Amino acid sequence: MSNRMLKSAALAAATAWLLAGTAYADQTVIKFWDNQQTESGLSVFQQEAVKRFEAENPDIKVEVTTIPYPEYQQRLLTAVQAGNGPDVSTVDQIWNSAFAVAGAIQPLDDLAKQAGIKAETFFPGAWESANYNGQLWGIPFNVDVWFFAFVNKKLFQDAGVDPASIVTWQGLEAAAPKLTDKSKGQFAIGLTGNKSEYPVGMSDSFIYSNGGSVLDDSGKCVLTSKEAQEGLAFYKKMADYAPAGILNAPNEPMRELFLNGTLAIELWPALEQPTLDKSKIDWDLYAAFAPEGKKPVGMFGGWNLVLYKASKNQEAAWKFIQFMTREDVNGDVVDLIPANVNAAKAFLQKSRRKPDMILDHLNNAKPRPLSPRYLEVSEVQQNMMQKILSGTPIADATAEACTAIDALK
Amino acid sequence: MAYGFMLPAAILVAGLMYWPMIDTFRESLYATTFLNPNPTFIGLKTYEQLFGDSTFWQIVRNSIIWTIGVVFLQNVGGFLIALLLNQKLPGQGILRSLILLPWVLPGVVAAILWRFMYDPQLGLINSFFMRLGIVEHGVGWLAEPSTAMAAVIFAAFWKGFPFSTVVFLAALQNVDQEQVEAAKIDGAGSLRRLFDVVIPAIWPVAVVNVLLTTILTFNYFDIIYVLTRGGPLNATAIFPTRIYEVGFGQFKFGEAAAYGSLSVLVLVLFVGLLLLVQRRQVKAA
Repeated sequence: MSNRMLKSAALAAATAWLLAGTAYADQTVIKFWDNQQTESGLSVFQQEAVKRFEAENPDIKVEVTTIPYPEYQQRLLTAVQAGNGPDVSTVDQIWNSAFAVAGAIQPLDDLAKQAGIKAETFFPGAWESANYNGQLWGIPFNVDVWFFAFVNKKLFQDAGVDPASIVTWQGLEAAAPKLTDKSKGQFAIGLTGNKSEYPVGMSDSFIYSNGGSVLDDSGKCVLTSKEAQEGLAFYKKMADYAPAGILNAPNEPMRELFLNGTLAIELWPALEQPTLDKSKIDWDLYAAFAPEGKKPVGMFGGWNLVLYKASKNQEAAWKFIQFMTREDVNGDVVDLIPANVNAAKAFLQKSRRKPDMILDHLNNAKPRPLSPRYLEVSEVQQNMMQKILSGTPIADATAEACTAIDALK
Repeated sequence: MAYGFMLPAAILVAGLMYWPMIDTFRESLYATTFLNPNPTFIGLKTYEQLFGDSTFWQIVRNSIIWTIGVVFLQNVGGFLIALLLNQKLPGQGILRSLILLPWVLPGVVAAILWRFMYDPQLGLINSFFMRLGIVEHGVGWLAEPSTAMAAVIFAAFWKGFPFSTVVFLAALQNVDQEQVEAAKIDGAGSLRRLFDVVIPAIWPVAVVNVLLTTILTFNYFDIIYVLTRGGPLNATAIFPTRIYEVGFGQFKFGEAAAYGSLSVLVLVLFVGLLLLVQRRQVKAA
């Protein structure tokens, strides 16, 4: 290659680099972090939605980082603490108030008002989870209820039990012994009791469905109430029909047992449906369980989108939050259920069995305590559940838990 | 002049080893959490709270039981297997390579493997015991406070014994065979030769191995966290799992730093005690 040709090639490369640099320099770049909880190919869907957002907003470029769920909390909190956080991220409903108190995120009341974003666009529990101390700190992104009873129809048929009967405590109590045959390694219900968030979420649903609560409106522990204690007592009673080793049982082994056909009832959010569709199990699902005459209230879970105070691109980041929670977008970018009610209706009709029942359960569900010190409250509840499941009287365990929770203030 | 040459190395050691330890102790004197990212000086208050908390003492107790249990099994088991591998056996080379397998497995993988093994419903261990009629139904080895610690110790022994085996095997191959032969000619049986010739010959290596495995085990995190997360009822909670839980689970950095500083202190006391015992033995010999 001659010198002249080399010079021309170098000049062309430099021009292209400069042009590309100029184009990039004109754009505002925002960083968006989310986590992935299922095998749904979420990051691919989100990248496609981002292309759509970038086409609508050519002056904004979005860098998406998708982190596996088990690592997400640690990586996000560490990055935010170190001042290297994203502009926008999802946060678990139970972290939202802590991020607000820590001064990491922006209140969104004024922005939401200007954009015409209203509470009724979202599920009540999801909107409630984004509010703390009278201010709005996030926009609900995705939701689910961790209290659907997935049933193995064959095991019910073999035991001569109507699956629909288990939606009441009384029905479940009558069915559980018939569905359990320990000599065959068959169990009625998959309950958890290990040192994790699983038993906390599950037992909250038992408490809520009996009209109880963990904290009252003033933040005081009410696990010692009659309703809460009855809910916990029923959980403990049902543990006799759960697989052995409950004190070290998370959710995943329950799923394995359900998938291999030895567990009659698996408690899981609706996001479980695609997994079960791929299995050979003949399954159905119900909104689980409440005492006769009461309506089941499941533990509401999900994620909100938050805008970080440290973001230098607040306007672009807010545009992105609005885009991701829009009715025509929200269903394409979540792996749980869209928090936007209209998007959720379309999503459920398209991709879930019993969409109306799921919608009703979502509307009726309740989030976990919205305390900025939730992680500590949860640890106390985890210890309480381990004590209850290992034989400590419920009154003693709940009294001890309430003393510890109230001391956190 | 000599000090000048040592200076870069001294700065490196101080910067990389001692500064993080000092900074951890400094952090423990502040109340720093995610909710309160601006540190507030509280002196030794966190330590006072920990000393008054029964969970802390349970963690100290568990850490000592865990360390002694794993170190004992790894060293005794590792030594016995090294004795076996030191014999002329068919396929000796392959056996020596295969024995390393648990050690080269990542800790998390080994823990997941043992989680399956101990599973009350699907695990091999229960299936084996049920076939032998030892148990009637699946036992939650990791779910019972009475068996969980023994179960995690055994898993850690399996994971770590090849290290001790390799160290002891190397030491055994350096034992003076003339002394062994002389003892044999003098009429010493195999046990006598083992206790009076072989073990004294490898004793310095054994002491180093015990010290190394003590430090590694005390700070070992993966096996317990994956198998039990420190449960049930904190029966397997040790310093590393508690530091992770408090620091990265609840983002109470000050408290995690206090646990970290105390864990160094406990380890130093533990190792100091071991060295003292060893010195007394040497003097007595």
